[in-house]
Amino acid sequence: MEALRHYARLWFASARYSLVRTMMFRADFIMWSLVEIFWMVVNLMLIAVIYSHTESIAGWGPWEMTIIVGTSMLVQRLLMGFFWTNLFEMSRNVRSGHFDFFMAQPGWPLFMVSTRKIDLEGVINVPLAIAVIVFAAHKLGLHPSWLQIGCFSLFILCGLVIHYATLLFFVSLVFWMQSAHGIEHGYFGLNEFSRLPREALKGIASVVFVYTLPVIIVTNVPARTLIHGPELGPALWLFGAAVFWLAVAVTVFQRGIRRYSSASS
Amino acid sequence: MLAFLAKYRSVFTVGLQSNLVYRWNFAVRGTFSLIHLSFVFILWGAAYAGQTDIGGFDLRQTLTYFIVMLVLQYFISAMNEDYEISEEIRNGLINQFLLKPVNYYLYRFTIFLSARFVSGLLALVPVALALPLLADKITLPGPGWNYVIAVPALLMSALIQFTIAYCFGLLTFWFLEIQSFIILSLAVETILGGQVFPLDLFPNWLYQLSSWLPYYYQMYFPAALLTGRITDLGYALRGLGIQLFWVLALLTVAQLLWSRGLRRHTAVGG
Repeated sequence: MEALRHYARLWFASARYSLVRTMMFRADFIMWSLVEIFWMVVNLMLIAVIYSHTESIAGWGPWEMTIIVGTSMLVQRLLMGFFWTNLFEMSRNVRSGHFDFFMAQPGWPLFMVSTRKIDLEGVINVPLAIAVIVFAAHKLGLHPSWLQIGCFSLFILCGLVIHYATLLFFVSLVFWMQSAHGIEHGYFGLNEFSRLPREALKGIASVVFVYTLPVIIVTNVPARTLIHGPELGPALWLFGAAVFWLAVAVTVFQRGIRRYSSASS
Repeated sequence: MLAFLAKYRSVFTVGLQSNLVYRWNFAVRGTFSLIHLSFVFILWGAAYAGQTDIGGFDLRQTLTYFIVMLVLQYFISAMNEDYEISEEIRNGLINQFLLKPVNYYLYRFTIFLSARFVSGLLALVPVALALPLLADKITLPGPGWNYVIAVPALLMSALIQFTIAYCFGLLTFWFLEIQSFIILSLAVETILGGQVFPLDLFPNWLYQLSSWLPYYYQMYFPAALLTGRITDLGYALRGLGIQLFWVLALLTVAQLLWSRGLRRHTAVGG
């Protein structure tokens, strides 16, 4: 319990630092918030244009599809807000030797690395992603129960863990490869698939993106929960994937730390 | 004239060498683009299920459009040019160009051409490897003249792409950080340049409106010519005219930003 309080204090200190830093560069914050909003609009426009020419994509109507896209945006905004910059900078820090700074801090290096900065422009757009989901649910005439909302929130958390873990896994490879250049392209490339309904994937694509990589379930399970109610099988699958990927990523990170030798003088 | 060309030929050679250093980055990026292409195939394949055409084009035509877009991106898109120019201004590296008989725009444009030459050829490698899978998805219909018109359209697209990036880079004379401007502009370019979906799928009024904007001529126009989405000769020639206007307008803006920016610039150091 004492350890938990210690980490909570550390996190709040980082959060306060991030808030102060953001307020020092307010114009920058507004610009980046606009950037995030624009990219969300890009995703929604794609859906709007396709559905202006067709009625369904793999059996999903326009507002059901909007829930999937909204869910994908929500998980991504959470990742961007809380972890993206931290993990992205980790590869640079390992190469430059600045990673020493995190090793010397009073806490688990993984926690210190992951929570150093909070990007408020990502966090500030979380309500917007939620608003997209709520609007689509309203258009579908859904009245989700508290159980559905609770399960949806839990599944979003599982999705965040999966995204965090996969990103950590790829970034941790920097301990062996000395460069994680291009991971952002890989991440965004894979994340695109999270905006697809599972039924759209067939054959090898289904094996890769549904069963091997947990890209599709991250959005499809919460979206289906909101639309049709919670289902035990997919829920266990999502939860299991979150635990598995987190365990793999943490193991790779810990192994990587053992290989790390400072690059600074 | 020959001395003038020799000067920029040397710049082109140096650009080739320095870009070949990043050959693996381009190759990796090209490979990741295939992941994006798989997403596009799955999404549009599902959208076409149960219908033969969307917006007057069949599935093969639409997939060809995206494949051509992908390849063109590596041959004519501006990638890091805005950041590089920004860095050169911030670090004072442009000072040397103020003292030498080198036009900075032409210098950067030559570097851009060499970079796209390398990135374009390297991006073709993963596409060529994936060709057995892509071959039956490709169709290149068209009246024939479209390929002829596509040549100047491609050259002007490259000029528009580069000049926009150049202008963003020059904003460093006024702003310390330009990354957010670039990413914001990228979002607009992605939509209005036709990279997310073919612009002809817009409602007609929006499509007509977009055809007056420079973004239309960054990627969509040459891709639409090459893939037979523009089949009216008059419309294609009108497009070339508007594209030429945007090239000239952007060059004027670039020159204006350069001359105004230099007035604010302070060269420090020995």
